[in-house]
Amino acid sequence: MTRHPTVEVTTRFTGVLAGEWVKLSTVRSTRWAPVVLVLVTVGVAFLGGITESIQRGETILGSTANGSVLGMLVAGLLGAMAMSNEYGTGTIRATFGACPRRLPVLGAKVAVVATLVFVVALLACAGALLTGLAVLSGKGYATGDPLPALLGMAACFAAVAVLGLAAAAILRHAAAAVVAVVGVVLLPSLLGPLFGAWQRWVVGASPMAAVQKLAQSTDAAPDAPGGLGPWQSLGLVGAYTLAALVVAGWLLRRRDV
Amino acid sequence: MIELRGLTKRHGGKLAVDQLSFDVRPGRVTGFLGPNGAGKSTTMRMILGLDEPTEGGARVNGRPYRRLPAPLREVGALLDARAVHGGRTAYDHLRFLAVTAGIPRRRITEVVDLVGLTAVARSRAKEFSLGMAQRLGIAAALLGDPGVLILDEPINGLDTEGIRWLRGLLTGLAGEGRTVLLSSHVMSEMELTADHLVVIGQGRLLADMPMRAFIAANSETSTVVRATDQDRLSALLRERGATIRPDPGGGWIVGGLDATAIGELANAQRLSLRELTPRYRSLEEVYTRMTRDAVEYRTARHAIAGGTETSS
Repeated sequence: MTRHPTVEVTTRFTGVLAGEWVKLSTVRSTRWAPVVLVLVTVGVAFLGGITESIQRGETILGSTANGSVLGMLVAGLLGAMAMSNEYGTGTIRATFGACPRRLPVLGAKVAVVATLVFVVALLACAGALLTGLAVLSGKGYATGDPLPALLGMAACFAAVAVLGLAAAAILRHAAAAVVAVVGVVLLPSLLGPLFGAWQRWVVGASPMAAVQKLAQSTDAAPDAPGGLGPWQSLGLVGAYTLAALVVAGWLLRRRDV
Repeated sequence: MIELRGLTKRHGGKLAVDQLSFDVRPGRVTGFLGPNGAGKSTTMRMILGLDEPTEGGARVNGRPYRRLPAPLREVGALLDARAVHGGRTAYDHLRFLAVTAGIPRRRITEVVDLVGLTAVARSRAKEFSLGMAQRLGIAAALLGDPGVLILDEPINGLDTEGIRWLRGLLTGLAGEGRTVLLSSHVMSEMELTADHLVVIGQGRLLADMPMRAFIAANSETSTVVRATDQDRLSALLRERGATIRPDPGGGWIVGGLDATAIGELANAQRLSLRELTPRYRSLEEVYTRMTRDAVEYRTARHAIAGGTETSS
C-alpha cells in the first residue's frame, strides 16, 4: 500500500447525509418500513370503504385520516429504527468515528427520515383517498378538500417519524423507543377521558388529532378537540418534536458511546 | 502520533483510567498490554472521542479526535469486530463509512481484497465467523488509508494464516512510517509483532519501553553454559557466588553472573566453552509476573484505604 496520494478524504455534510441514506436502505427493517406504511394506510382505507365504516356527513378524506393511525405508527417505528439500529448493534461507534462531532449525524438522520416519510406518507394518504373514492363512489359521500390537507397529513407523519428518532436517540433502546412512539400516537385518545376537563387538550395535542383536523376541513370545526385549528395543531406536534430533538442532540453530544 | 496527557476516566466512584501519559510514535508497532479491566478499551475510546475524559486528554496528530477535519483519513480503528449491523452486507457496511467520510468507492474494493473478504463481501455480516468479522473490522480501519491505526484485540478469532497475515500487515504499515497501537492478550503474538510496549494495570501506566528492554529489565539474568571441563567451571562459578542448576537440554543454567563475566572467567582460566547463551524470559512470563505484582500491590493498598475510611 502506498501512502498519501491514494485516497482523497474530506468529511462533508453531504457525505454524512448520503451515508445515512445508505444505512437506511441497506437493512431490511428500514427498507421495508416505507412499503408497509403505504400498504397498511391504503389497506385500512380499502377495508373501511368496502364495509362502509363512514358516518353520514363525514368526508371520504376525513375517514381516510381516521384510518391512518396504523400508518402513523409505522412512520414512528421507522424513525425509531433508524436510530436504535445503530445503538443496538454498536454501529454508532463507527458512525461517530467517521463524524465525531455527532450533531451532523443527528441532523442528517432527521433530514433523510423526514424527507423519506413525508414523500411516502403523501403517497400513502393520496392512495388511501383514491381507494376510498373508488370503493365509495356513487354512495353520496363528499370527497373533502384534499389540498393542502394531504400535505399537512404527510408532514404530521414525518413529525411522528422524527419523534421516534429522537426518542431512540434519548432512550438508546429499540423497545423503549417503540413504546414511546406508540404511547404518543395511541395513548392520548385512550387515556383522554381520564383527564376530565383537560381531555380536549390532551387528545387535541396528539398527532392523530392534527391529522383528523387537517382532513376534516381547512377551518377547524368549533368542537374540534383542543380547540386549536388544524395547522396550529400540526404546529404543536412540530414544536414538541423539535423539543424532543433538542434534548436528543444535547444528550448525543454529552454521552459516551 | 498519539499523545496522552493525564488522561483520566472515572466511572462513578471507580477510576477506570488514572492519569495516563504516554506517546505512541510512528514507524513502529506499539503493543498495549494490561489485564482485563485495566482500562485499555476505555483509553482507546477516549483517544477516538467516543468517551469523554474526566480529566486530561488525548491528541492524534496534534489535535483532539473530535477536531480532526477528516478523521478516517488520519485514524483507522477497530474496537469491536461484532459492532456491525448483522443484516447489512460487508460491502454495504464499508460503503456507508466510505460515503460518510467522502472516500472514493474504489477504495472499498481495495480494502476488501486486501483483507481477503472478496468472496463474501456481499454476504450479511451475521453470517461471518469471528475471524471474518475481524477482517471486516480491519478493512474498515484501513478504508481511509490512515497514518494512525488503533486495533483492540484484532487477533481474536483469526486462524494461524490470519494471524501471520495480520503480523505482516501491521509490521509493513509501521515500516511505511505509520503509527500502530495494538492490544492483545496473546503474548506470544505480541512478542513477535510489537517493537514497543505500553503496559497498564488498574488504569495506571506500568511500563513504556522497547520490547527488548522490557523483557531484559524484568528478567533475572540467567545464562546457559556448556564447557569441555564442566566440573572445574562449575566449581569456579560457585566460588564467585553464582547459582548453578542443570539444564534439561544439557549444560548448566547459571544465575547471578552475566554472560560477559562467565566468558571472562573461563578465558582467564583457559577453559574452553561450547555454549554461552544469555536466556531471556518470554514476554508472557515477564508480563504475568509484572501485572500480578501490580494487581497485588493495588489490592493491598485499596484494603488499607478502605480500613482507614471506616475507622475515621
